[in-house]
Amino acid sequence: MEIKCYIQASAAISPQQSFSGEYAPQFLPLEERNLLRAQEPGYAGFIPPNSLRRMSRLLKMGLTAALQCLRNANATVPGAIITGTGRGSLQDTEKFLHDIRTYEETALNPTPFIQSTYNSVNGLIALQQQCTDYNNTFVHRGFSFEHALLDSLLQIQEGNAESVLVGGFDEMTVEHFFIKSRIGYWKSALTQPADMLASGTPGTIAGEGAVFFLVGTQPAPVEVRGIQMLYRPAPDQVASQLAQFLQKQGVKAEDVDLLVIGRNGDTRFDHFYAVVEKALPSTATNIPFKQYCGEYDTAGAFGMWTAQQELLSGRHKTALVYNHFYGEQHTFILLQKH
Amino acid sequence: MDRMAERVLITGMGMISAIGNNVEENFRSLRAQRSGIGYSRFVDTIHRNVLPVGEVKCSSEELAKLAGLPDTTGFTRTTLLGLVAMQEALRSAGINDAAETPTAFINASTVGGMCDTEKIYFDILDPQKEGTFLQLIDTLDCADCTQRIADETGLTAYVTTISTACSSSANALMYGARLIRAGLVDRAVCGGTEALTRFTINGFNSLKNIDKRHCMPFDNDRNGLNLGEGAAYLVLESESFAQRRKARPMAELSGWCNTNEAFHPTSPSPEGDGAFEAMRKALEMGGLSPADVQYVNVHGTATLNNDVSEGRALERLFGNEVPAFSSTKPFTGHTLAAAGAIEAIYSVLAINRQMIWPNLNFTTRMEELRISPETRLLEESPVKNVVSNSFGFGGNNASLVISKYGN
Repeated sequence: MEIKCYIQASAAISPQQSFSGEYAPQFLPLEERNLLRAQEPGYAGFIPPNSLRRMSRLLKMGLTAALQCLRNANATVPGAIITGTGRGSLQDTEKFLHDIRTYEETALNPTPFIQSTYNSVNGLIALQQQCTDYNNTFVHRGFSFEHALLDSLLQIQEGNAESVLVGGFDEMTVEHFFIKSRIGYWKSALTQPADMLASGTPGTIAGEGAVFFLVGTQPAPVEVRGIQMLYRPAPDQVASQLAQFLQKQGVKAEDVDLLVIGRNGDTRFDHFYAVVEKALPSTATNIPFKQYCGEYDTAGAFGMWTAQQELLSGRHKTALVYNHFYGEQHTFILLQKH
Repeated sequence: MDRMAERVLITGMGMISAIGNNVEENFRSLRAQRSGIGYSRFVDTIHRNVLPVGEVKCSSEELAKLAGLPDTTGFTRTTLLGLVAMQEALRSAGINDAAETPTAFINASTVGGMCDTEKIYFDILDPQKEGTFLQLIDTLDCADCTQRIADETGLTAYVTTISTACSSSANALMYGARLIRAGLVDRAVCGGTEALTRFTINGFNSLKNIDKRHCMPFDNDRNGLNLGEGAAYLVLESESFAQRRKARPMAELSGWCNTNEAFHPTSPSPEGDGAFEAMRKALEMGGLSPADVQYVNVHGTATLNNDVSEGRALERLFGNEVPAFSSTKPFTGHTLAAAGAIEAIYSVLAINRQMIWPNLNFTTRMEELRISPETRLLEESPVKNVVSNSFGFGGNNASLVISKYGN
């Protein structure tokens, strides 16, 4: 990239105690089902009480993570707002589906319909911060946050924005957890996050979260060097594309000292991760971030946040984030500490 | 050569809507001033014989046949509509094997496969019920239709889906054009697909946004929109790539702009600030002034708010010289995520056929405006530059400028 792009600030609502800015990932115990729930912050300091009452959970989580990110950057109005969400507000989609049935299509409350619209969080951020510039929402499983990030980098390269607020958010409801369990998304036996990687079973642990970054031209300790996506690659393509990607960024494989990886213990798709691990030096620190946030469409945003935190700690210099979503959408993100 | 200055050409297009199963049929219906609005044959809703819609005249089985599939297995209506339009778009661009050149596929959708999943949603929730319907679970989201179309056609370089409500496919076109300008791909196929659903019909009805009559954009007596369905894709190529392969340019995507109004979650500002900025900046990008525009294909949903806001924006931007403008939604209904791409094709047709499409169902000028839409079909009318507007929930506004190539 001609214009360098840095992570100026971030904020994460996740199953971890991440919202305060603390970085101390823990294995959280699960009791009822294979679902890591996000720890929601107090919303009162972010959203006026009148709006708060009407807003559903994902809207509150998404808006609050976005606002906290801007606060962390001492910024108010970004040059663009670009987000990714695989499912949008599931709670609202489900409520409207149930209402249609319960009330037989009459006298329906429109609020869940409006809030189920995938771009509603984006609209709320723009409205609250009075940001009238570029605004976009990607809704494509493991290419939701990732295309939002690519779009952000393009906005900056085009000179349209000096900073972009970019984020990814998804929630998991009990109803949707059941739906996905019917087609093998989750491990059938209750599995603790500490055991998920070695479980040797198909499926994984569900998760959720809302993670935002302010990326821009103003120099900051962590630079976003580049991103590359691969749709349904064969394992050998993952290896060759990784080599090409690193070369294009002017980075040798042996320079990568941190690998933040999407390993989720699903035996059906683990082999892709093994390909990337094998391509990098065995001395690189390997952090499988989904032990901490669970699997969801936009978990890649939590992966990038993890890499950023690790780089800020000063322990590493060059981080590769590699993630895929159920073998279909694969992404490399390269971050560098300055 | 400066990549950012690379022109983006439209070299192919395909569509299906309530007024035709391909571009030529759509053109004939526009020219014959034949609307596709009527009562639904395929959506199971109590509003079926009350709220008119712009429904595609084929059953899902007929769509599968059009797409050359043995049956509908695994494909939602959303995917089938998209596939029919995609095949035509590739064909018209002279692309036999889409996988030959790394091609981006930027799709748009507002509710993905809801049209089919809403029929079985409560069966999915019932642990006692088993069956092949469970295979449709993954069609609940917006990515399913995109990936099915990508897999059928071999478009794999960049695959994603945009959802910014009613401006979704206009944003898909912009994003694809920007991937080309950034040099990431030489070709991007962009557009959207949308099927009618009980979910959206009830959604817009609960917002009291649907007219029980045929919609009347920019009429003082208008009372809401008619929903529609359809799909449309445009093949975008960099000028140098199109020249190398001797593609036939149909038009140029010369300007675009996406703004957010930051005014209200579902309503535009009364003065049309977002619409004004989107149109102004899109023209500026194309190096054009308002006087260069011969036709505006307006968003024109016929909701009370949209038409005031958009009309005010037109008056502000064009002053006393507002060019011919019309909403084609009385033909197709409001096809939500597909609307931007459908109307982009109507804009290309306006340029290539030198015609301006009539705004049907208009009789009385709005109190708030001093302008009224073009109600006649204008033939042999020179059209060089068209502005096409798409505005959505969440304040998401998008304007595209489509120009005659070689201006």
